[in-house]
Amino acid sequence: MRFFHPLRLPRRIDSLRRLGRWIGLALLLSPAVVAQTTLIDPGLEIKLQETPQLLDKVAKGQLPSIDQRLPQPPYIDRMEQLDQRQPGKSGGSITLLMGKAKDVRQLVVYGYARLVGFNESMQLVADLLHSIDVEQGRIFTLHLRPGHRWSDGQPFTSEDFRYYWQDVASNDQLYPYGQPNKLMVNGKPPKFEVLDQYRVRYSWDQPNPDFLLALAGPSPLYIYRPAHYMRQFHRDYTDADTLKELVANANTKKKTWVALHQRKDHQYKFDNPDLPTLQPWMPVTPAPAERFRFVRNPYYHRIDTQGMQLPYLDQLIVDISSKKLVAAKTGSGESDLQGRYLSLSDYTFLYQGAKRNAVDVLLWRTSRGSRMSLYPNLNASDPVWRPLLRNVDFRRALSLAINRHEINEVIFFGLALEGADNLLPESPLFRPQYRSRWSSYSPDVANRMLDELGLEQRDDRGIRLLPDGRPMEIVVQAAGGSTEETDILELIHDHWMDIGVKIHTKPTEREVFRNRIFSGDALMSVWTGLPNAIPSADMSPAQLAPTSQQQLQWSKWGKHYETGQEQPPDLPAAQQLLALNQQWRDATDHQQRESIWLQMLDIYSDNVFTIGTVTRLLQPIVISQQLRNVPREGMWNWEPNAYFGVYRPDRFWLETAEQKGPEARTSDINSDISPDMNESKTLATEGAL
Amino acid sequence: MAHYILKRLLLMIPTLVVISFIIFVIIQLPPGDYLESYIAEMESQGESIDPQQIMMLRQQYGLDEPFMVQYLTWSTGMLHGDFGYSFEYGLPVTDVVGDRLFLTTVISIFTIIFTWLIAFPIGMYSATHQYSWGDYGLTLVGFLGLATPNFLLALVMLYFANVTFGTSIGGLMAPEYLNQDWSWDKIKSVLEHLWIPVVVIGTSGTAAMIRRLRANLLDELHKPYVVTARAKGVPPFRLLVKYPLRSALNFFIADIGNMLPSIISGAEIVALVLSLPTTGPILIAALQSQDMYLAGSFLMFLAILTVIGVLVSDLALALLDPRIRLHGEAR
Repeated sequence: MRFFHPLRLPRRIDSLRRLGRWIGLALLLSPAVVAQTTLIDPGLEIKLQETPQLLDKVAKGQLPSIDQRLPQPPYIDRMEQLDQRQPGKSGGSITLLMGKAKDVRQLVVYGYARLVGFNESMQLVADLLHSIDVEQGRIFTLHLRPGHRWSDGQPFTSEDFRYYWQDVASNDQLYPYGQPNKLMVNGKPPKFEVLDQYRVRYSWDQPNPDFLLALAGPSPLYIYRPAHYMRQFHRDYTDADTLKELVANANTKKKTWVALHQRKDHQYKFDNPDLPTLQPWMPVTPAPAERFRFVRNPYYHRIDTQGMQLPYLDQLIVDISSKKLVAAKTGSGESDLQGRYLSLSDYTFLYQGAKRNAVDVLLWRTSRGSRMSLYPNLNASDPVWRPLLRNVDFRRALSLAINRHEINEVIFFGLALEGADNLLPESPLFRPQYRSRWSSYSPDVANRMLDELGLEQRDDRGIRLLPDGRPMEIVVQAAGGSTEETDILELIHDHWMDIGVKIHTKPTEREVFRNRIFSGDALMSVWTGLPNAIPSADMSPAQLAPTSQQQLQWSKWGKHYETGQEQPPDLPAAQQLLALNQQWRDATDHQQRESIWLQMLDIYSDNVFTIGTVTRLLQPIVISQQLRNVPREGMWNWEPNAYFGVYRPDRFWLETAEQKGPEARTSDINSDISPDMNESKTLATEGAL
Repeated sequence: MAHYILKRLLLMIPTLVVISFIIFVIIQLPPGDYLESYIAEMESQGESIDPQQIMMLRQQYGLDEPFMVQYLTWSTGMLHGDFGYSFEYGLPVTDVVGDRLFLTTVISIFTIIFTWLIAFPIGMYSATHQYSWGDYGLTLVGFLGLATPNFLLALVMLYFANVTFGTSIGGLMAPEYLNQDWSWDKIKSVLEHLWIPVVVIGTSGTAAMIRRLRANLLDELHKPYVVTARAKGVPPFRLLVKYPLRSALNFFIADIGNMLPSIISGAEIVALVLSLPTTGPILIAALQSQDMYLAGSFLMFLAILTVIGVLVSDLALALLDPRIRLHGEAR
């Protein structure tokens, strides 16, 4: 049976709900189109056009012509079916700002070329892959696009998958701890088969609902490697003497072939210009540098309906600058596409700068469960506090005592959404009661509940006393860094004083912070809320169950799930969540998954495992006024949107790319500098490819 | 004298060994290691990382080795020019630091010249016109410079430079020159950006230097030989420069010991705020992310410069001022 299972996710943009969306949806839902099989011959249906910037190279024979570079069939991006999007012109370059040289990995996130990836309606569709067949949720057959090529022109075939599975993941030196966890189901690896040059199959004994999600992740699971390139660093493929010499000259800590192989194999870190890639832009600047250039991948597999190869933009430039200066630099027009390191508090400054610098400031939305949540540590080691923190009424009382409206008004200009740490209305699984439950401001009820818990005794400051006579003072661990967090805690301090609980904020270094919680020393901590608050039923609900040590409310239980160390959950509600998570993993149809999700959300919100504050903050996004195809409204999050990823930066184009390019912007400010001229020229002539 | 120098040089060896050990211990003191701060940083951005990968990296980076083994590999490596490996950059430390040293030196030298140009005339004026309005006024300005937080001044100047002159914010040149070869335009761009850090870093150093010069000069100005010289009709300025100023310069020579390392390390905080491509921000980032070999080698480098600087200034003092020379030789 061949089918494609589209994952449904919230459709946030209202305008998408118009006609265009229905056409798009219908096309996406029909497996034939998802698989791009209706395309008979691009030459007939869509006339391919050579990218103007590459004409020279093609003419000189340095590069094959467009029909030779594209796979058969290419991915046809029907972007005009989306609101405010149309095919554009090739050319131009834009600048982005990042805080550290390591941040160049964001270009993989933004580039978002994945085997399968989310579209804007949050459905999972084949992207690099031609199509994918899923049987019983456990047998995955991947169909590659024949003729697909790496950025160096070498074919992308099943050999690249085989190399990864047999020579990398199963190599006891490269992966001394066994194959990656993400490929394991109940501790068992998949069976891997190469069916032919363009088809591979992974099959597990049990359903693997995480597999496709992992492939579509912002930091994806890479199950393929450019075998033709990586082989030269592999012991099994290169003779000992050559390899020895390579190792001796390698920039690695340990001089071994393993270290060398791993150093070169930075598909996600994106800092090796020699490593072939499938992303829309490829790095050309070797580290260390303050300015990294990424130029178009001439073998990229996507075209628009006019037959123009994507990406439109010739190059992306990443300037490294101190994180704290990013907002100031963006405000002075030094970035053409910026979201990272900007926050709502920069908005007025950015807006002021926008008038001067021909940039637009858009407001997108974030999608965490809560901007800041309080995590009562259910694994606290204090024998008096632990039973109290585990008492659901205690947690409910704490949550009821928080005046979320005040937090919203005082710190977020009243623009945020108040409520518990739960899903956002954008999620199809959203139910209003999950957000509102135990999150209305009622200090009287909270006081009564605490009295009923036998905590009536108070000291002369009005602070309640614990059963052993100590005052109820909680040290809240904060990872520091953000003044917003401290401000919210200051307000919560006052709210909780009304119910006789005093908190002290203790900002610490992140490592110390984590270790205090892991060890049970911390009673309570603050962090952002649920990582993905806009999930669909087909996304994993693991964030609601004790499945990871990083979950600050029950890190020891999470560790037990991950490694078997520490004790398993002994709180019935947590056990239930864990059992439901397993059920979800075993479930095979959408209905079942949805009902499991809802049950879990219900338990999670009723037990107030985390105490949410406000969420759905606005995120300023600054773009050049010439940049087209950037949606006016969008979601800014790591998962599942991969920041700009699902909006496909390869679709972005510059209105005046040919005449002016980005230098026009800068020359407005400073006429004696003519930046980028030289660079775009060299790119156009020798192509820098 | 040769004997003395030899002794001092030999003494440097154990000093540096002790320093290297202390540096390594202190860098290792905070809990966790590079990989832990790496995980924490990824998490703060919402990313997650496979625990297996971390275990693999820990083995790769040798972070699972015992403390003494790590120390010995690093310290013996330094003897033949291997300063270790920067985890953050995935490169040997020498590759990371290399390019930045030049620009750091440029900034520091300009700053020092700027400080001298301002501080010397003011210091001399203040001393000769003690308690005059000019003395008070200039001292006030100097103290203002000292009291204003550098980073604040830096931000304010950046903003106005951008709005008024269109200078790009931060950095030492307009971004488009970053990876280019040196050209006249590039130098112009550097000069256009250079004045902000120079002024900012310079203002704080100026006040201290003015005060020290003034105090030292005042000590000298009332000595009998000055009175004698004046009585004999030596012109005032010539007198000032020829005698009291020369003996007042001792503090300045003694300062060379501190100046050498500060040429390299620059003003870290200001460099961080201004996003200068100097070595300061690297050092801070390395300490924050516990990139231990990078941070360690940096500090070691500074230690070596300090030790050499102190020796040089001692020798220069002895050379310049007969009063300081060692007993046996002075006679």
